[in-house]
Amino acid sequence: MSVQTQAPERKNPGQRPHRPPPRRRADPRALRWRGPAAAASFLVLLVGGWQVMALSMDSVLVPGVDQIGAEIVRLLGEPRFYSDLGVTFQRVALGFALAFVAALFVGIAMGRSPLARRFFEPAVLIGLTVPGLVWALLCVIWFGVDLINPVMAVALSSAPALTLSIYQGTRATDAQLLEMAHVYRFSTYDRLRNLWLPSLAPALFGGARLGLSLAWKVIVLVEIFGMSSGVGASINGEFAAQNVAGVLAWTVLFALVMALLEYGLLQGLENRAGRWRKVSSV
Amino acid sequence: MSATVELHRVGKSFTGVRDQRTEHVFEDFSLTVEPGELVALVGASGTGKTTLLHMVAGLERPDTGEVRATGTGDMDGRLGVVFQQPRLLDWLSVRANVEIALRSAGLDPGLADRALEDVGLSEYGDKYPSVLSGGQRQRVAVARAFAIDPAVVLLDEPFSALDELTGRRLRLLLQDLWTRQSRVGLLVTHSPAEAVFLADRVLVLAGRPATVVHEYRVDAPRPRTPEDPELFDLHRRVVADLL
Repeated sequence: MSVQTQAPERKNPGQRPHRPPPRRRADPRALRWRGPAAAASFLVLLVGGWQVMALSMDSVLVPGVDQIGAEIVRLLGEPRFYSDLGVTFQRVALGFALAFVAALFVGIAMGRSPLARRFFEPAVLIGLTVPGLVWALLCVIWFGVDLINPVMAVALSSAPALTLSIYQGTRATDAQLLEMAHVYRFSTYDRLRNLWLPSLAPALFGGARLGLSLAWKVIVLVEIFGMSSGVGASINGEFAAQNVAGVLAWTVLFALVMALLEYGLLQGLENRAGRWRKVSSV
Repeated sequence: MSATVELHRVGKSFTGVRDQRTEHVFEDFSLTVEPGELVALVGASGTGKTTLLHMVAGLERPDTGEVRATGTGDMDGRLGVVFQQPRLLDWLSVRANVEIALRSAGLDPGLADRALEDVGLSEYGDKYPSVLSGGQRQRVAVARAFAIDPAVVLLDEPFSALDELTGRRLRLLLQDLWTRQSRVGLLVTHSPAEAVFLADRVLVLAGRPATVVHEYRVDAPRPRTPEDPELFDLHRRVVADLL
Protein backbone atom coordinates (compact mmCIF):
# COMPACT_ATOMS: atom_id res chain seq x y z
CA MET A 1 0.00 0.00 0.00
CA SER A 2 1.57 3.25 -1.03
CA VAL A 3 0.20 6.71 -1.08
CA GLN A 4 1.32 8.81 -3.96
CA THR A 5 2.75 12.11 -2.91
CA GLN A 6 3.68 13.87 -6.04
CA ALA A 7 4.71 17.35 -5.02
CA PRO A 8 3.39 19.91 -7.48
CA GLU A 9 6.12 21.53 -9.43
CA ARG A 10 6.80 25.07 -8.46
CA LYS A 11 8.39 27.40 -10.86
CA ASN A 12 9.57 29.86 -8.29
CA PRO A 13 10.06 28.23 -4.95
CA GLY A 14 9.99 30.77 -2.17
CA GLN A 15 7.73 33.15 -4.01
CA ARG A 16 4.59 32.11 -2.21
CA PRO A 17 5.73 30.91 1.17
CA HIS A 18 2.26 31.13 2.71
CA ARG A 19 0.86 28.49 0.43
CA PRO A 20 -0.02 25.43 2.51
CA PRO A 21 1.72 22.24 1.55
CA PRO A 22 -0.43 20.04 -0.66
CA ARG A 23 -2.51 17.83 1.51
CA ARG A 24 -2.09 14.12 1.13
CA ARG A 25 -5.40 12.59 0.29
CA ALA A 26 -5.27 9.20 1.92
CA ASP A 27 -7.80 6.67 0.82
CA PRO A 28 -10.40 6.50 3.65
CA ARG A 29 -10.58 2.76 3.21
CA ALA A 30 -6.88 2.55 3.83
CA LEU A 31 -7.27 4.74 6.93
CA ARG A 32 -9.85 2.42 8.37
CA TRP A 33 -7.44 -0.50 8.19
CA ARG A 34 -4.59 1.33 9.86
CA GLY A 35 -5.55 0.38 13.42
CA PRO A 36 -6.05 -3.34 12.74
CA ALA A 37 -2.90 -3.33 10.61
CA ALA A 38 -0.93 -1.95 13.55
CA ALA A 39 -2.30 -4.67 15.83
CA ALA A 40 -1.60 -7.33 13.22
CA SER A 41 1.96 -6.16 12.74
CA PHE A 42 2.56 -6.57 16.47
CA LEU A 43 1.31 -10.15 16.30
CA VAL A 44 3.43 -10.84 13.22
CA LEU A 45 6.47 -9.45 15.02
CA LEU A 46 5.72 -11.54 18.10
CA VAL A 47 5.29 -14.78 16.15
CA GLY A 48 8.27 -14.01 13.92
CA GLY A 49 10.47 -13.09 16.88
CA TRP A 50 9.46 -16.26 18.64
CA GLN A 51 10.30 -18.33 15.59
CA VAL A 52 13.72 -16.67 15.28
CA MET A 53 14.37 -17.35 18.96
CA ALA A 54 13.23 -20.98 18.64
CA LEU A 55 15.44 -21.57 15.61
CA SER A 56 18.51 -19.96 17.12
CA MET A 57 18.17 -21.71 20.48
CA ASP A 58 17.25 -25.04 18.98
CA SER A 59 15.98 -26.35 22.32
CA VAL A 60 13.07 -28.59 23.26
CA LEU A 61 12.13 -25.93 25.82
CA VAL A 62 11.39 -23.40 23.10
CA PRO A 63 9.30 -25.12 20.46
CA GLY A 64 8.91 -23.49 17.09
CA VAL A 65 5.78 -21.88 15.78
CA ASP A 66 5.11 -24.86 13.55
CA GLN A 67 5.12 -27.22 16.55
CA ILE A 68 2.81 -24.98 18.55
CA GLY A 69 0.55 -24.68 15.53
CA ALA A 70 0.41 -28.44 15.18
CA GLU A 71 -0.51 -28.73 18.88
CA ILE A 72 -3.27 -26.17 18.44
CA VAL A 73 -4.69 -28.14 15.54
CA ARG A 74 -4.46 -31.35 17.57
CA LEU A 75 -6.27 -29.76 20.53
CA LEU A 76 -9.01 -28.34 18.33
CA GLY A 77 -9.62 -31.84 17.05
CA GLU A 78 -10.02 -33.36 20.49
CA PRO A 79 -13.41 -33.49 22.22
CA ARG A 80 -11.66 -33.11 25.57
CA PHE A 81 -10.59 -29.59 24.60
CA TYR A 82 -14.19 -28.44 24.36
CA SER A 83 -15.34 -30.17 27.53
CA ASP A 84 -12.40 -28.74 29.49
CA LEU A 85 -13.10 -25.29 28.19
CA GLY A 86 -16.80 -25.70 29.05
CA VAL A 87 -16.04 -26.89 32.57
CA THR A 88 -13.67 -24.00 33.21
CA PHE A 89 -16.12 -21.52 31.80
CA GLN A 90 -18.91 -22.91 33.97
CA ARG A 91 -16.79 -22.57 37.12
CA VAL A 92 -15.89 -19.01 36.27
CA ALA A 93 -19.49 -18.15 35.47
CA LEU A 94 -20.78 -19.55 38.78
CA GLY A 95 -18.05 -17.93 40.84
CA PHE A 96 -18.41 -14.65 39.06
CA ALA A 97 -22.20 -14.65 39.52
CA LEU A 98 -21.73 -15.26 43.24
CA ALA A 99 -19.19 -12.44 43.47
CA PHE A 100 -21.43 -10.14 41.46
CA VAL A 101 -24.47 -10.57 43.70
CA ALA A 102 -22.43 -10.21 46.88
CA ALA A 103 -20.57 -7.19 45.53
CA LEU A 104 -23.80 -5.54 44.47
CA PHE A 105 -25.24 -5.65 47.99
CA VAL A 106 -22.02 -4.88 49.82
CA GLY A 107 -21.00 -2.15 47.38
CA ILE A 108 -24.35 -0.37 47.57
CA ALA A 109 -24.38 -0.71 51.37
CA MET A 110 -20.90 0.79 51.53
CA GLY A 111 -21.93 3.71 49.37
CA ARG A 112 -25.08 4.34 51.36
CA SER A 113 -23.97 3.93 54.95
CA PRO A 114 -20.71 5.19 56.44
CA LEU A 115 -20.93 2.45 59.06
CA ALA A 116 -21.17 -0.26 56.42
CA ARG A 117 -18.27 1.35 54.57
CA ARG A 118 -16.13 1.24 57.71
CA PHE A 119 -17.13 -2.35 58.31
CA PHE A 120 -16.43 -3.70 54.83
CA GLU A 121 -13.45 -1.51 53.96
CA PRO A 122 -10.86 -3.81 55.59
CA ALA A 123 -12.44 -6.82 53.91
CA VAL A 124 -12.17 -5.21 50.49
CA LEU A 125 -8.62 -4.07 51.12
CA ILE A 126 -7.53 -7.48 52.34
CA GLY A 127 -9.31 -9.11 49.43
CA LEU A 128 -7.57 -6.84 46.95
CA THR A 129 -4.12 -7.46 48.34
CA VAL A 130 -4.27 -11.24 48.86
CA PRO A 131 -2.75 -12.82 45.74
CA GLY A 132 -4.97 -15.03 43.62
CA LEU A 133 -2.48 -17.84 44.15
CA VAL A 134 -3.20 -17.80 47.89
CA TRP A 135 -6.95 -17.96 47.32
CA ALA A 136 -6.39 -20.87 44.98
CA LEU A 137 -4.27 -22.76 47.53
CA LEU A 138 -6.63 -22.05 50.42
CA CYS A 139 -9.68 -23.13 48.46
CA VAL A 140 -7.99 -26.37 47.42
CA ILE A 141 -7.11 -27.02 51.08
CA TRP A 142 -10.56 -26.16 52.42
CA PHE A 143 -12.93 -27.40 49.75
CA GLY A 144 -10.97 -30.19 48.07
CA VAL A 145 -12.18 -31.38 44.70
CA ASP A 146 -15.80 -30.27 45.01
CA LEU A 147 -17.29 -27.75 42.61
CA ILE A 148 -17.37 -25.26 45.47
CA ASN A 149 -13.58 -25.03 45.42
CA PRO A 150 -13.11 -23.31 42.06
CA VAL A 151 -16.33 -21.35 42.48
CA MET A 152 -15.21 -19.93 45.82
CA ALA A 153 -11.74 -19.17 44.54
CA VAL A 154 -13.14 -17.23 41.61
CA ALA A 155 -15.66 -15.43 43.82
CA LEU A 156 -13.08 -14.50 46.44
CA SER A 157 -10.61 -13.16 43.95
CA SER A 158 -13.00 -11.15 41.82
CA ALA A 159 -15.45 -9.85 44.47
CA PRO A 160 -13.17 -7.20 46.02
CA ALA A 161 -12.51 -5.43 42.71
CA LEU A 162 -16.19 -5.59 41.82
CA THR A 163 -17.22 -4.31 45.24
CA LEU A 164 -14.85 -1.39 45.00
CA SER A 165 -16.14 -0.21 41.64
CA ILE A 166 -19.77 -0.69 42.66
CA TYR A 167 -19.09 1.31 45.83
CA GLN A 168 -17.59 4.11 43.77
CA GLY A 169 -20.50 3.97 41.33
CA THR A 170 -22.93 4.17 44.23
CA ARG A 171 -21.34 7.36 45.46
CA ALA A 172 -21.83 8.84 42.02
CA THR A 173 -25.53 7.89 41.86
CA ASP A 174 -27.84 10.85 41.63
CA ALA A 175 -29.18 11.66 45.12
CA GLN A 176 -32.08 13.52 43.55
CA LEU A 177 -33.33 10.33 41.91
CA LEU A 178 -33.07 8.52 45.23
CA GLU A 179 -35.24 11.20 46.81
CA MET A 180 -37.72 10.80 43.99
CA ALA A 181 -37.80 7.03 44.50
CA HIS A 182 -38.34 7.56 48.22
CA VAL A 183 -41.21 9.99 47.71
CA TYR A 184 -42.95 7.67 45.25
CA ARG A 185 -42.30 4.67 47.50
CA PHE A 186 -40.52 2.52 44.93
CA SER A 187 -40.32 -1.12 45.90
CA THR A 188 -36.92 -2.63 46.67
CA TYR A 189 -37.09 -4.46 43.36
CA ASP A 190 -37.80 -1.30 41.38
CA ARG A 191 -35.08 0.56 43.21
CA LEU A 192 -32.55 -2.12 42.32
CA ARG A 193 -33.73 -2.90 38.81
CA ASN A 194 -34.66 0.55 37.61
CA LEU A 195 -32.53 2.92 39.63
CA TRP A 196 -29.40 1.32 41.03
CA LEU A 197 -28.55 -1.08 38.20
CA PRO A 198 -28.86 1.46 35.37
CA SER A 199 -26.96 4.17 37.18
CA LEU A 200 -24.32 1.67 38.26
CA ALA A 201 -23.99 0.19 34.77
CA PRO A 202 -20.74 1.96 33.85
CA ALA A 203 -19.16 0.98 37.16
CA LEU A 204 -20.48 -2.56 36.82
CA PHE A 205 -18.93 -3.05 33.40
CA GLY A 206 -15.62 -1.59 34.53
CA GLY A 207 -15.64 -3.83 37.60
CA ALA A 208 -16.72 -6.87 35.60
CA ARG A 209 -13.79 -6.46 33.21
CA LEU A 210 -11.35 -6.25 36.09
CA GLY A 211 -13.01 -9.05 38.07
CA LEU A 212 -13.14 -11.39 35.09
CA SER A 213 -9.49 -10.84 34.25
CA LEU A 214 -8.66 -11.85 37.82
CA ALA A 215 -11.03 -14.80 37.63
CA TRP A 216 -9.36 -16.26 34.51
CA LYS A 217 -6.03 -16.20 36.28
CA VAL A 218 -7.15 -17.80 39.51
CA ILE A 219 -9.28 -20.52 37.90
CA VAL A 220 -6.30 -21.92 36.04
CA LEU A 221 -4.30 -22.02 39.28
CA VAL A 222 -7.08 -23.83 41.13
CA GLU A 223 -7.41 -26.35 38.36
CA ILE A 224 -3.67 -26.95 38.32
CA PHE A 225 -3.56 -27.56 42.06
CA GLY A 226 -6.74 -29.34 42.82
CA MET A 227 -8.88 -30.33 39.87
CA SER A 228 -8.78 -33.19 37.42
CA SER A 229 -10.67 -31.37 34.67
CA GLY A 230 -10.64 -27.97 33.12
CA VAL A 231 -8.10 -25.88 31.26
CA GLY A 232 -5.70 -25.69 34.22
CA ALA A 233 -5.70 -29.47 34.72
CA SER A 234 -4.98 -29.99 31.04
CA ILE A 235 -2.15 -27.47 31.10
CA ASN A 236 -0.81 -29.32 34.13
CA GLY A 237 -1.04 -32.58 32.17
CA GLU A 238 0.96 -31.17 29.27
CA PHE A 239 3.45 -29.81 31.78
CA ALA A 240 3.84 -33.23 33.39
CA ALA A 241 4.38 -34.77 29.95
CA GLN A 242 7.06 -32.12 29.33
CA ASN A 243 5.18 -31.00 26.26
CA VAL A 244 6.05 -27.29 26.14
CA ALA A 245 4.29 -26.85 22.81
CA GLY A 246 1.13 -28.27 24.40
CA VAL A 247 1.30 -25.80 27.31
CA LEU A 248 1.74 -22.93 24.89
CA ALA A 249 -1.03 -24.15 22.61
CA TRP A 250 -3.44 -24.32 25.55
CA THR A 251 -2.41 -20.87 26.70
CA VAL A 252 -2.93 -19.34 23.29
CA LEU A 253 -6.33 -20.95 22.80
CA PHE A 254 -7.55 -20.16 26.30
CA ALA A 255 -6.52 -16.52 26.04
CA LEU A 256 -8.17 -16.27 22.64
CA VAL A 257 -11.47 -17.77 23.74
CA MET A 258 -11.64 -15.69 26.92
CA ALA A 259 -10.81 -12.48 25.09
CA LEU A 260 -13.54 -13.24 22.56
CA LEU A 261 -16.05 -13.94 25.33
CA GLU A 262 -15.11 -10.85 27.24
CA TYR A 263 -15.27 -8.50 24.29
CA GLY A 264 -18.19 -10.18 22.61
CA LEU A 265 -20.37 -10.66 25.66
CA LEU A 266 -19.49 -7.63 27.77
CA GLN A 267 -19.39 -5.25 24.84
CA GLY A 268 -22.76 -6.48 23.67
CA LEU A 269 -24.30 -6.07 27.11
CA GLU A 270 -22.76 -2.66 27.53
CA ASN A 271 -24.17 -1.47 24.24
CA ARG A 272 -27.57 -2.77 25.26
CA ALA A 273 -27.44 -1.02 28.62
CA GLY A 274 -26.47 2.22 26.93
CA ARG A 275 -29.20 2.28 24.31
CA TRP A 276 -30.92 5.30 25.84
CA ARG A 277 -27.63 7.19 25.72
CA LYS A 278 -27.21 6.64 22.01
CA VAL A 279 -30.58 8.09 21.28
CA SER A 280 -29.71 11.19 23.26
CA SER A 281 -26.37 11.75 21.59
CA VAL A 282 -27.98 12.63 18.29
CA MET B 1 -62.17 12.43 51.45
CA SER B 2 -60.31 15.04 53.41
CA ALA B 3 -56.59 15.10 53.35
CA THR B 4 -54.67 17.59 55.42
CA VAL B 5 -51.10 18.60 55.98
CA GLU B 6 -50.20 19.64 59.49
CA LEU B 7 -46.99 20.96 60.95
CA HIS B 8 -47.23 21.20 64.70
CA ARG B 9 -44.59 23.19 66.62
CA VAL B 10 -41.86 22.03 64.30
CA GLY B 11 -38.23 22.75 65.06
CA LYS B 12 -35.38 22.12 62.64
CA SER B 13 -31.79 23.21 62.77
CA PHE B 14 -28.68 22.55 60.75
CA THR B 15 -25.11 22.51 61.95
CA GLY B 16 -22.50 23.85 59.60
CA VAL B 17 -19.91 21.28 58.66
CA ARG B 18 -17.06 23.78 58.80
CA ASP B 19 -17.78 26.24 61.57
CA GLN B 20 -20.00 23.96 63.67
CA ARG B 21 -22.49 26.80 64.06
CA THR B 22 -26.07 25.76 64.54
CA GLU B 23 -28.66 27.51 62.41
CA HIS B 24 -32.22 27.30 63.62
CA VAL B 25 -34.26 27.23 60.45
CA PHE B 26 -37.56 26.56 62.20
CA GLU B 27 -38.57 26.94 65.80
CA ASP B 28 -42.03 26.24 67.08
CA PHE B 29 -43.42 26.55 63.55
CA SER B 30 -47.01 25.52 62.96
CA LEU B 31 -49.01 25.39 59.77
CA THR B 32 -52.17 23.64 58.71
CA VAL B 33 -53.23 23.13 55.12
CA GLU B 34 -56.97 22.58 55.07
CA PRO B 35 -58.63 19.95 52.88
CA GLY B 36 -58.78 21.08 49.28
CA GLU B 37 -56.39 23.93 49.88
CA LEU B 38 -53.26 24.82 47.91
CA VAL B 39 -50.87 26.89 50.00
CA ALA B 40 -47.97 28.74 48.42
CA LEU B 41 -44.81 29.56 50.34
CA VAL B 42 -42.77 32.46 49.08
CA GLY B 43 -39.69 34.06 50.56
CA ALA B 44 -36.07 34.81 49.95
CA SER B 45 -33.63 31.99 49.24
CA GLY B 46 -32.47 30.19 52.33
CA THR B 47 -35.53 30.86 54.47
CA GLY B 48 -36.26 27.16 54.67
CA LYS B 49 -39.09 26.75 52.18
CA THR B 50 -37.61 23.69 50.61
CA THR B 51 -36.67 22.26 54.01
CA LEU B 52 -40.29 22.57 55.01
CA LEU B 53 -41.41 20.78 51.87
CA HIS B 54 -38.85 18.05 52.39
CA MET B 55 -40.14 17.47 55.91
CA VAL B 56 -43.67 17.02 54.58
CA ALA B 57 -42.33 14.67 51.90
CA GLY B 58 -40.52 12.62 54.53
CA LEU B 59 -37.12 13.37 53.04
CA GLU B 60 -36.06 15.13 56.25
CA ARG B 61 -37.19 14.74 59.81
CA PRO B 62 -38.04 17.61 62.11
CA ASP B 63 -35.87 17.83 65.24
CA THR B 64 -38.90 18.57 67.37
CA GLY B 65 -42.62 18.71 66.79
CA GLU B 66 -44.69 16.78 64.33
CA VAL B 67 -45.33 16.76 60.61
CA ARG B 68 -48.36 14.94 59.37
CA ALA B 69 -49.64 14.44 55.85
CA THR B 70 -52.78 12.40 56.04
CA GLY B 71 -55.42 11.39 53.61
CA THR B 72 -58.41 9.18 54.06
CA GLY B 73 -59.78 6.30 52.10
CA ASP B 74 -57.79 4.53 49.45
CA MET B 75 -55.44 7.38 48.67
CA ASP B 76 -54.17 7.44 52.20
CA GLY B 77 -51.07 9.57 52.38
CA ARG B 78 -50.24 9.15 48.72
CA LEU B 79 -47.78 11.81 47.73
CA GLY B 80 -47.23 13.42 44.35
CA VAL B 81 -44.16 15.59 44.11
CA VAL B 82 -42.94 17.83 41.30
CA PHE B 83 -39.37 18.94 41.86
CA GLN B 84 -37.55 21.81 40.23
CA GLN B 85 -35.83 19.31 37.94
CA PRO B 86 -37.94 16.60 36.29
CA ARG B 87 -36.02 13.81 38.05
CA LEU B 88 -36.97 11.19 35.50
CA LEU B 89 -35.19 7.88 35.02
CA ASP B 90 -33.41 8.63 31.75
CA TRP B 91 -33.00 4.96 30.86
CA LEU B 92 -36.74 4.27 30.92
CA SER B 93 -39.28 5.40 28.38
CA VAL B 94 -41.60 8.24 29.31
CA ARG B 95 -44.45 5.79 29.80
CA ALA B 96 -42.36 3.49 31.98
CA ASN B 97 -41.44 6.47 34.15
CA VAL B 98 -45.11 7.05 34.92
CA GLU B 99 -45.90 3.33 35.17
CA ILE B 100 -43.30 2.77 37.83
CA ALA B 101 -44.89 5.44 40.04
CA LEU B 102 -48.31 3.90 39.49
CA ARG B 103 -47.05 0.43 40.33
CA SER B 104 -45.34 1.72 43.46
CA ALA B 105 -48.61 3.34 44.55
CA GLY B 106 -50.41 0.04 44.07
CA LEU B 107 -52.37 1.32 41.08
CA ASP B 108 -52.89 -0.05 37.60
CA PRO B 109 -49.88 0.82 35.41
CA GLY B 110 -52.31 1.00 32.50
CA LEU B 111 -53.35 4.43 33.75
CA ALA B 112 -50.07 5.87 32.50
CA ASP B 113 -51.34 6.59 28.99
CA ARG B 114 -54.26 8.52 30.37
CA ALA B 115 -51.94 10.58 32.58
CA LEU B 116 -49.69 11.39 29.61
CA GLU B 117 -52.72 12.37 27.57
CA ASP B 118 -53.73 14.77 30.34
CA VAL B 119 -50.47 16.65 29.97
CA GLY B 120 -50.55 16.56 26.17
CA LEU B 121 -47.81 13.99 25.71
CA SER B 122 -49.78 10.98 24.52
CA GLU B 123 -47.53 10.60 21.49
CA TYR B 124 -44.32 10.58 23.49
CA GLY B 125 -44.90 7.48 25.62
CA ASP B 126 -42.26 5.38 23.87
CA LYS B 127 -39.60 8.08 23.75
CA TYR B 128 -36.71 8.37 26.14
CA PRO B 129 -36.82 11.50 28.32
CA SER B 130 -33.53 12.72 26.89
CA VAL B 131 -35.10 13.49 23.52
CA LEU B 132 -37.80 15.68 25.05
CA SER B 133 -37.49 19.40 25.65
CA GLY B 134 -37.16 20.78 29.17
CA GLY B 135 -40.82 21.76 29.25
CA GLN B 136 -41.94 18.36 28.02
CA ARG B 137 -39.84 16.60 30.62
CA GLN B 138 -41.41 18.70 33.33
CA ARG B 139 -44.80 17.77 31.92
CA VAL B 140 -43.88 14.12 32.39
CA ALA B 141 -42.98 14.92 35.99
CA VAL B 142 -46.39 16.57 36.43
CA ALA B 143 -48.08 13.58 34.81
CA ARG B 144 -46.26 11.24 37.19
CA ALA B 145 -47.29 13.29 40.22
CA PHE B 146 -50.98 13.41 39.30
CA ALA B 147 -51.20 9.92 37.79
CA ILE B 148 -51.11 8.32 41.22
CA ASP B 149 -54.16 10.29 42.36
CA PRO B 150 -52.26 11.78 45.28
CA ALA B 151 -53.84 12.97 48.50
CA VAL B 152 -51.05 15.49 48.91
CA VAL B 153 -49.28 17.35 46.11
CA LEU B 154 -45.95 19.01 46.80
CA LEU B 155 -44.51 21.40 44.25
CA ASP B 156 -40.94 22.53 44.77
CA GLU B 157 -40.34 25.46 42.41
CA PRO B 158 -41.79 23.29 39.68
CA PHE B 159 -41.51 25.75 36.80
CA SER B 160 -38.65 28.01 37.75
CA ALA B 161 -36.19 26.27 35.42
CA LEU B 162 -38.42 26.89 32.40
CA ASP B 163 -38.74 29.88 30.14
CA GLU B 164 -41.60 32.32 30.71
CA LEU B 165 -44.01 31.00 28.09
CA THR B 166 -43.44 27.33 28.83
CA GLY B 167 -43.85 28.06 32.52
CA ARG B 168 -47.11 29.85 31.89
CA ARG B 169 -48.50 26.96 29.86
CA LEU B 170 -47.57 24.52 32.57
CA ARG B 171 -49.16 26.68 35.26
CA LEU B 172 -52.40 26.62 33.31
CA LEU B 173 -52.07 22.86 32.95
CA LEU B 174 -51.45 22.50 36.67
CA GLN B 175 -54.51 24.58 37.48
CA ASP B 176 -56.56 22.32 35.25
CA LEU B 177 -55.27 19.16 36.94
CA TRP B 178 -55.70 20.71 40.38
CA THR B 179 -59.39 21.53 39.92
CA ARG B 180 -60.30 17.99 38.86
CA GLN B 181 -59.95 16.52 42.33
CA SER B 182 -59.89 17.84 45.82
CA ARG B 183 -56.42 17.46 47.29
CA VAL B 184 -54.14 19.41 49.55
CA GLY B 185 -51.07 21.02 48.17
CA LEU B 186 -47.97 22.96 49.11
CA LEU B 187 -46.21 25.07 46.53
CA VAL B 188 -42.77 26.51 47.11
CA THR B 189 -41.88 29.19 44.63
CA HIS B 190 -39.72 32.22 44.01
CA SER B 191 -42.32 33.72 41.76
CA PRO B 192 -45.04 35.78 43.50
CA ALA B 193 -47.06 35.71 40.28
CA GLU B 194 -47.04 31.92 40.26
CA ALA B 195 -47.99 31.79 43.93
CA VAL B 196 -50.92 34.17 43.50
CA PHE B 197 -52.13 32.50 40.32
CA LEU B 198 -52.15 28.95 41.66
CA ALA B 199 -52.70 29.10 45.40
CA ASP B 200 -55.63 29.63 47.75
CA ARG B 201 -53.36 31.11 50.36
CA VAL B 202 -49.94 32.74 50.02
CA LEU B 203 -47.58 32.75 52.98
CA VAL B 204 -44.55 34.99 53.01
CA LEU B 205 -41.74 33.44 55.04
CA ALA B 206 -38.86 35.44 56.43
CA GLY B 207 -36.30 35.53 59.19
CA ARG B 208 -34.29 32.95 61.04
CA PRO B 209 -35.92 31.00 62.52
CA ALA B 210 -38.50 31.41 59.78
CA THR B 211 -41.91 32.83 60.54
CA VAL B 212 -44.91 33.73 58.43
CA VAL B 213 -44.62 37.50 58.12
CA HIS B 214 -47.57 37.97 55.77
CA GLU B 215 -50.51 35.90 54.75
CA TYR B 216 -52.85 36.50 51.83
CA ARG B 217 -56.02 34.72 50.87
CA VAL B 218 -56.66 34.40 47.17
CA ASP B 219 -60.40 34.13 46.78
CA ALA B 220 -60.56 34.45 43.00
CA PRO B 221 -62.54 31.51 41.63
CA ARG B 222 -60.90 28.99 39.31
CA PRO B 223 -60.21 28.75 36.45
CA ARG B 224 -58.16 31.89 36.83
CA THR B 225 -56.34 33.77 34.11
CA PRO B 226 -52.86 35.18 34.62
CA GLU B 227 -54.12 38.60 33.47
CA ASP B 228 -56.77 38.88 36.19
CA PRO B 229 -56.39 42.44 37.62
CA GLU B 230 -57.34 41.28 41.09
CA LEU B 231 -54.54 38.71 41.04
CA PHE B 232 -52.13 41.28 39.68
CA ASP B 233 -52.93 43.62 42.55
CA LEU B 234 -52.24 40.86 45.04
CA HIS B 235 -49.06 39.96 43.19
CA ARG B 236 -47.83 43.55 43.64
CA ARG B 237 -48.44 43.41 47.35
CA VAL B 238 -46.53 40.14 47.70
CA VAL B 239 -43.65 41.59 45.70
CA ALA B 240 -43.62 44.62 47.98
CA ASP B 241 -43.35 42.32 51.00
CA LEU B 242 -40.43 40.51 49.51
CA LEU B 243 -38.46 43.60 48.52
